[in-house]
Amino acid sequence: MQTRSAPRSLLDIDDLSRDEIALVIRRSGEFRTQLPDRSLLAGVPILNLFFEASTRTATSFTLAEQRVGADVITFAPGTSSLGKGETIADTAITLRAIGVRVIVVRHHESGFPRRLAEAFDGHVVNAGDGTRAHPTQALLDLATLHAEFGRFEGLRVAIVGDILHSRVARSNIVGMKMLGIDITLVGPPTLLPDAFAQEGVRIERDFDAVLPHVDAVMMLRIQRERIAASLLPALADYTIGYQLGTQRLRVLPKGAIILHPGPYNRGVELTDEALADPRSRYETQVTNGVFVRMAALDMLVNGSAVRA
Amino acid sequence: MRVLIRGGRVIDPSRGLDAVRDVAIDGGIIRAISEQIEERGHEIIDATNCVVAPGFIDMHVHLREPGQTHKETIATGTAAAVAGGFTAVACMPNTTPAIDTPAVIAEIAQRVAQAGLARVYPIGAITQGRKGEQLAPYHELAMAGAVAFSDDGSTVENVRVLRNAALYARDVKGPFISHCIDDELHGDAVMNEGKHSAMLGLPASPRLAEDVIVARDILVAADTHKPWHIAHISTATSLDIIRWARSRSTAITCEVTPHHLLLHDDLFVDYHARAKVAPPLRGADDSAALRAAVRDGTIDVFATDHAPHTMEEKAQLLSIAPVGFSGLEVAVGAYAHAIPDLPLDRFITLLSTRPAQILGVEGGTLAVGARADVTIFGERPWTVDARTFYSKGKNTPFDGFTFERRIVATVVGGRLAYHAERGIIEPLAYA
Repeated sequence: MQTRSAPRSLLDIDDLSRDEIALVIRRSGEFRTQLPDRSLLAGVPILNLFFEASTRTATSFTLAEQRVGADVITFAPGTSSLGKGETIADTAITLRAIGVRVIVVRHHESGFPRRLAEAFDGHVVNAGDGTRAHPTQALLDLATLHAEFGRFEGLRVAIVGDILHSRVARSNIVGMKMLGIDITLVGPPTLLPDAFAQEGVRIERDFDAVLPHVDAVMMLRIQRERIAASLLPALADYTIGYQLGTQRLRVLPKGAIILHPGPYNRGVELTDEALADPRSRYETQVTNGVFVRMAALDMLVNGSAVRA
Repeated sequence: MRVLIRGGRVIDPSRGLDAVRDVAIDGGIIRAISEQIEERGHEIIDATNCVVAPGFIDMHVHLREPGQTHKETIATGTAAAVAGGFTAVACMPNTTPAIDTPAVIAEIAQRVAQAGLARVYPIGAITQGRKGEQLAPYHELAMAGAVAFSDDGSTVENVRVLRNAALYARDVKGPFISHCIDDELHGDAVMNEGKHSAMLGLPASPRLAEDVIVARDILVAADTHKPWHIAHISTATSLDIIRWARSRSTAITCEVTPHHLLLHDDLFVDYHARAKVAPPLRGADDSAALRAAVRDGTIDVFATDHAPHTMEEKAQLLSIAPVGFSGLEVAVGAYAHAIPDLPLDRFITLLSTRPAQILGVEGGTLAVGARADVTIFGERPWTVDARTFYSKGKNTPFDGFTFERRIVATVVGGRLAYHAERGIIEPLAYA
């Protein structure tokens, strides 16, 4: 296997090579079968720095860090002055001086982890920034797809809903393109501007036309705020075009799977029936998240060559 | 003081002159232009292989004084102006307080006199405090020296207020200048809406946010018969709307900045705010349309929108960092770099003759007897180093660019104010 020196930071999924993505996914599968001992990152000080509320991602990272033996510090500064740019460099210097080697950061503004990584002499892991990127979510989505189909090349995936405001969608677009997955984006023009069309990514407005031809459909959360922002007329109107419900579940191929990055809105982007459908992989995704984050942290800190 | 500009290619579009000549200046006035002038106690400026032009006028700068002197002062801003080849600048009213009373204009005039470098023409506000509500006192402001009116930095959102302002000010000298950005459409955007913003996940401003206000303001101009100038135009559609307006004889002029001619929205990939500006940098199609519009005459004026900020302010997150950057000291190089084949007389018209006409100020000519505001430039490659700016704002997305055209000397009122080898030549007031 081709390897390269350890990536310093994981700001988006393309900070990893195709081989490294495959390695993280393989290792996460191994961890799922048998947990490693706590020596992988024994005593490595990791700071979880969440400027934005998070339950699943923060918990998932914390558990992953504990399982590889890291010293975990959790700090939730909210949107305090620490988020202001003039202190990014000072903050980074202070944290490194304290001894922090890895920062797992979530921030409400796109690009914050990148700016932090420029100033921080250690590893920065992006746990979600603005509407920009969520690389470990993309990794766990890819791990879920790989566990199901055993391959990436040629898989047909539809990502449906509010692409414009979704960092999950963006990271998945980047990762899936790298791996040769056929991507179709589905949504209304207010939530999926034409500008998302690019090489290897199709835009389709007619969900029903796409549905019979997919291996996986990734439903994205639709928020009520979009109505207030005049991006949607009403949730009920949205469901006519884009909800995964009874009729569409019939059209979805039997061998296909349903993904959702969570948290979901029952009765909006998908119905109770879709969540309960045997093709739904929501819980598997959440479970995979812990193992993928363990593997990603191991790769960043210990280097890919070590495990290849 | 006597000055002799020797052996330069004198290009004066106002008189159709393009020839190698000596220019003699005495008492702040151009006394003679001829093939050879005998030196009689003149200070000599060697202009061999250089172009000698009527002084450049930048009709869109932010000098930040009064009120924001941490960003710029009239002294540093006018130093940057003469270093950039500008003998005069028009300063926008988004100061603190805004330029909406004669007292503020008087204060500016005092600072300009103290600095003694470039001329400064104040632009008065359209509305009091630039709040878009109450009309500013146009007659008083014009009498105090305001050459135009604008709420630049903000758009007058209320059309009734704007129409009344234009009607009331119709017979007051000086055009209205529009900052064409619809606030609602622009929202909290930090960059242009397009393929780059889509994947960068950054809040983005659609071209429509500009186009819709350009169209609106042109209709108000036509309705009120007020001469109107569109600032920092950035989209292809805005240009089409202006062409349409002119086909109906509406008195509309417009300007373009060097950054909109040269730079694109792909500069945001590193999430730094150095290229954050309003209107935002657009795509390659728009800048190509802007360059074509310079060539075909749709665009009247080159203006910089010089908008200095401190390094600390610009180093903040994109959402927090202010819009704009310093432009005076790179402008001439950047314009020539953007459109290298632009004929020199047209280049000079855009930088001198037209802005003087639009603002109704003296200048834009090298006629004998005219005030001796002169810009001398040459084809001398140089690399932009923002740290060396005279402006307090050391921020430009052009940092590190190599340009081909450079200012050699700037003469204001017959006095050498800047020379490439000597730097700023401090006026007597400084001594």
